[in-house]
Amino acid sequence: MTHLDHLYRIAYNLAKAPDDAQDLVQETYARALGAYEQFAPGTHLKAWLTRILYNFFVDRHHQGKRWVSVEDSTAQKNEESDPWEKMATENPGPDSHVLRQELSVQITGALGRLPEEFRAPIVLVDMGDFSYVEAAEVLSCPVGTVRSRLFRGRRLLHGYLKEYVGTKEPA
Amino acid sequence: MLCKEVEELVTALSDNELAGPERIVVERHLADCPDCRSLYQQQVALKQVIRRAAAEMKAPLELREKILNDRRVFPPRVVTGPEPRPWASVFTRPALALALLVLVLLPVIYLMRPQSPSLALAAIETHDKITRGEVTVIRGDSPEAIKEILVRSVAGEFAPMGYDLSMMNLKPVAGTVQTFDGRRVLVALYQGDGGSLTCYTLVGTERDAPPRAQAFFDADKNMTFYSYSVGRTNAVLHREGGLICILVSAMPMPDLLALARSKAAPSHS
Repeated sequence: MTHLDHLYRIAYNLAKAPDDAQDLVQETYARALGAYEQFAPGTHLKAWLTRILYNFFVDRHHQGKRWVSVEDSTAQKNEESDPWEKMATENPGPDSHVLRQELSVQITGALGRLPEEFRAPIVLVDMGDFSYVEAAEVLSCPVGTVRSRLFRGRRLLHGYLKEYVGTKEPA
Repeated sequence: MLCKEVEELVTALSDNELAGPERIVVERHLADCPDCRSLYQQQVALKQVIRRAAAEMKAPLELREKILNDRRVFPPRVVTGPEPRPWASVFTRPALALALLVLVLLPVIYLMRPQSPSLALAAIETHDKITRGEVTVIRGDSPEAIKEILVRSVAGEFAPMGYDLSMMNLKPVAGTVQTFDGRRVLVALYQGDGGSLTCYTLVGTERDAPPRAQAFFDADKNMTFYSYSVGRTNAVLHREGGLICILVSAMPMPDLLALARSKAAPSHS
């Protein structure tokens, strides 16, 4: 299905819950097909679908209907003792599938702790491979804002993921 | 140029979004400033781990099915009737028509693909590797802890099938997540005086059973159990809803089959 994995990744990291992410993606396909006349042939289908998804997310989010929890239990869970952390120190092999899974869980959790304004550009640029211009179009903001939020968001994210990123903090 | 002025530009450089004189200025600054160089390396490393994490995340099959069954996305075909069909105009737009074609064909191709029997056989191979200590497993303090770890590792998509095997002197001691043919499989390891047993849970169909497996239909439970062996290791595969469970152990096949039949939840589909 065209761009399904991409849309699910974006939705999951925006909505932070599998059920909400599935609703977002399903609704995105329905809306896209309902609004096909607005799609200009030759333009970027992935970006167009992502914009529909993001707009729908923002509508729902700001209406406070289903996914209002920005600081939810994800943050709490990450602060609790986590058996995966133990796993990381005991089994440092970089190719282990389990470790990749663990990293994925940690990153999803850390992204979930970021305020939405910082999370969205990171999800689009780093997970979705969007350029700054494309991300700015989806988010309806200037390119400079994308750059600024990426910088600030990544700084926060690095703080959450220090032990996994493996580079030292600048003085 | 001050470090404060460069910070955001370093971010743009790490994303390859910087060109011309700005790029030259930043690169010169990085050559002289270890702190900003470290910031740059940090941004690149962070980007890499996020990409890796993204690659692990796939849309669940359940979502594909939901979309395929969504009448707004795939409306029922109108066979007769003189009214003009709004969908017909979609195909006057070549790009969108192509996208829709891909949208329709990919899941069909996915569902029609031959199921690889290697997955079922890989379960036996992995069981042997686990018992030889060649596969990293996560040991948990309790069955609940193991289950929680496994569920989280597939982002809550599905949970490992959990059986109480205490009557066989077996208890869950560890778990791991494996990928076979691009499909994620939750593996729970049971150990005790009764030997060892691994329980694999994955999203799949009965076509995941090897062609040469012996099928046994349990009329009471309305379920089919597939038994197969490699060497002295035996396996029994069955389906519960959309999930496949494979029990693998060196215990005699009749015992393993009886165990699977006694523990499987009756099927209504």
